[in-house]
Amino acid sequence: MFVNNYNRRKFLKNFTAASAGLSLNPASVFSGENNSPLVVMVKNGSIPEMIERALEPLGGMSAFIKKGQVVVVKPNMSWASRPEQGANTNPEVVAAVVKMAYQAGAGQVRVFDRTCNEKRRCYRMSGIENAAKKAGAKVYYVNDRNFKKIKIAGAKRLKSWEIYKDVLEADVLINVPTLKHHGLTRLTIGVKNLMGFMGGDRGKIHRHIDEKIIDFATIVKPNLTIIDATRVLLRNGPQGGSIRDVKKMDTIIASENMISADALAAGLMGVDSRRLGYLVEAEKRGMGIIDVTKMNILKIELK
Amino acid sequence: MNWRRIRQISQIFFFFFFLVLFLQATFPYRVIIPADYFLKWSPLVSLITLLSSRYLILAMIPALIILLLTLIFGRFFCGWVCPLGAVIDFSDNRIKRKKSKKLTSTKWRWVKFGILVFLIVAALFGKQFAWFFDPLALFNRTLTLVLYPVFAALGDGLFSISYTFNLFPDTVYSIQGFFQSFLLPVNQIHLHQSLFVAILFLSILSLGKISRRFWCRNLCPLGALLGLFSRFRIVDRKLNSENCLECNICRRDCRMNAISANYQDFSKVECINSMECTSSCLENSYSYTFAWRKDPQKVDFRRRQFLQSITAGFAGAALIKTDFINRKKAEVGIRPPGSVPEDQYLDRCIRCQECVRICSTTGNLLQPAWFEHGLEGLWSPVGDTRHGYCEFTCNLCGEICPTDAIHFLPLEEKQKTIIGTAYFDRSRCIPWYSGDNCMVCEEHCPTPEKAIVFREDLFTKPDGSKVITKFPYVVEDLCIGCGICETKCPVSGEAAIYVTREREERYLE
Repeated sequence: MFVNNYNRRKFLKNFTAASAGLSLNPASVFSGENNSPLVVMVKNGSIPEMIERALEPLGGMSAFIKKGQVVVVKPNMSWASRPEQGANTNPEVVAAVVKMAYQAGAGQVRVFDRTCNEKRRCYRMSGIENAAKKAGAKVYYVNDRNFKKIKIAGAKRLKSWEIYKDVLEADVLINVPTLKHHGLTRLTIGVKNLMGFMGGDRGKIHRHIDEKIIDFATIVKPNLTIIDATRVLLRNGPQGGSIRDVKKMDTIIASENMISADALAAGLMGVDSRRLGYLVEAEKRGMGIIDVTKMNILKIELK
Repeated sequence: MNWRRIRQISQIFFFFFFLVLFLQATFPYRVIIPADYFLKWSPLVSLITLLSSRYLILAMIPALIILLLTLIFGRFFCGWVCPLGAVIDFSDNRIKRKKSKKLTSTKWRWVKFGILVFLIVAALFGKQFAWFFDPLALFNRTLTLVLYPVFAALGDGLFSISYTFNLFPDTVYSIQGFFQSFLLPVNQIHLHQSLFVAILFLSILSLGKISRRFWCRNLCPLGALLGLFSRFRIVDRKLNSENCLECNICRRDCRMNAISANYQDFSKVECINSMECTSSCLENSYSYTFAWRKDPQKVDFRRRQFLQSITAGFAGAALIKTDFINRKKAEVGIRPPGSVPEDQYLDRCIRCQECVRICSTTGNLLQPAWFEHGLEGLWSPVGDTRHGYCEFTCNLCGEICPTDAIHFLPLEEKQKTIIGTAYFDRSRCIPWYSGDNCMVCEEHCPTPEKAIVFREDLFTKPDGSKVITKFPYVVEDLCIGCGICETKCPVSGEAAIYVTREREERYLE
């Protein structure tokens, strides 16, 4: 492991090299100009190993979970779509996170999402219900009665909205989004994954979505974000459908800071984080650094 | 154990068998016995469908077996099997009626034959109306549209007490989940027409105030059909007249008023083998043998009534056929994927609502129609794309249609079957009228190559300023008309994208 000062050009060059399939240094740290939270990116390993290694520099799962706590793990399982179609979080990632949460002493791990297609189809076809249950999580459907309308202080657009009660009551929230293309926001990663906690007519969110989802993110703050970029939906997102649109990237990104994690993940898709409206909005509000040249980044290449 | 009890057990068995098949018609569909199996047992439906659509449904062999068994045992179906009959018996036993002066009234018996003739004539004329009267379809319809949603709402209300007061929510979660896995729906069902169907069903039950089994005695055309076959039954009931006390108890207890005043004879047409006489006879003087004898009673259907029914059949069919069809409404209501061409669809469909039932547990597209397709389109399953949509990964409606009005399509084929086409209403669509981006329709569009695409262009705001906007377009060739865009459109009221039957493909046999 060695420390290096990178500028943006070098950084992008490195990314281009990565996407061209060339190997990176086994591990490298991009040291930022400030003390922003660390963002770890791990590549080319088995899923549990990548997650394990990604969390190590962050203090391991036990840095986030105290014994007996209730943990909500939030995958993206919006679509009635198979794992290889890349529209939902990889079930193996969810299962690994659930297992690690229990190893860290979690009392109960809960997994749920408010889906777009019929919920049972999404839970089943995504493979997440099965995988998470096997790992010991409590997997359940959202109950329309359990949404609570709350005011969002200091919101620009979304003055109030319904949020799922179990999120408010959870001790720890682990956001496990998948990286994929999105027709409106270009990419959907961690921030947009929080929409699964929203009640009401979420279609209304899509107008001025950048401000609205950041408004929402000011009240739902994941303690940890683990981005699944194992299979990435490059086009026709967020739902996709064709395997041709999916690229295997075998990458996991983890950070305490969801905004920075999203910014780093955007680079994998060749998208400049500063062109993502909601990340720009988040940075304006001081919620995280999105300029990859200014972030504390640790890259680990397995194999 | 007496025979009455045995018959009641049979009724309970078949009632719950019907119920279990009904509950099985849900997503996820786990086939033990196909959910539409029982619905294929009605010889009335098979006969009328055969006549009207000239389509022989091989799967209706069970109906043929029922008919053959009727030649042996008589109308056992009505007394032992029919779930509607069971419900009527159950309700009759709880209705107090005045001591009937007209114990021997047979005045209305002819009506069921009249209805049967009406149905046959209309069927020859090309119109199938058995769906209105067939007891199996009728009961399944009532279950789907009335009883089950009501039951679900009550069950949900029960659980909501716990959530409201926050009593053991975790435990209640899992209990509710357990019940949702086989009994309760995961979402409350909202279906059109439930009040109307409820009133019809309650009317049938309340006719029990006039006499027991009023529906079966006087109105049910399936009963009439089975009754006519029952005239040839070879299991005969004999009265040992030496023992007979002439106490009149058997005549009083007979659910069908089938026993003659001389006690010796009974109407072979009306007897449903309810075993009431056999069980209540003080002297046990009834016995059963294999023997054929001519029905001592005439069928209560006079020539004049017969001719009237034929006339009514012609006139009624013509009247119903000439009813106005509201194209503005009819042609925005898409039919399920795999359905046969419209004329055949209306003739084949028995309005059992089985597809509506299974659809309500997944995409929630199908609803029973009202009169927008004319009188003959009543209750025919039609898509309400604002309320629900055709789930891309689902093909269950075709799988459980008992009459093949909707054909089963393998999933890959179904996903390519066009049931309609989407159109933007640009005056209400957010990007088109305001220049603000929205993408809810595009995001939900399920086709691998999206049927809704964006084109970026300049939008001029009312103040003259210009912004770049993503304008959505429908790619007509790719759209399959599933309607999820309309369902999910965030615009209030009428959606800014809507589906019509344009380009629809029907299943050609």
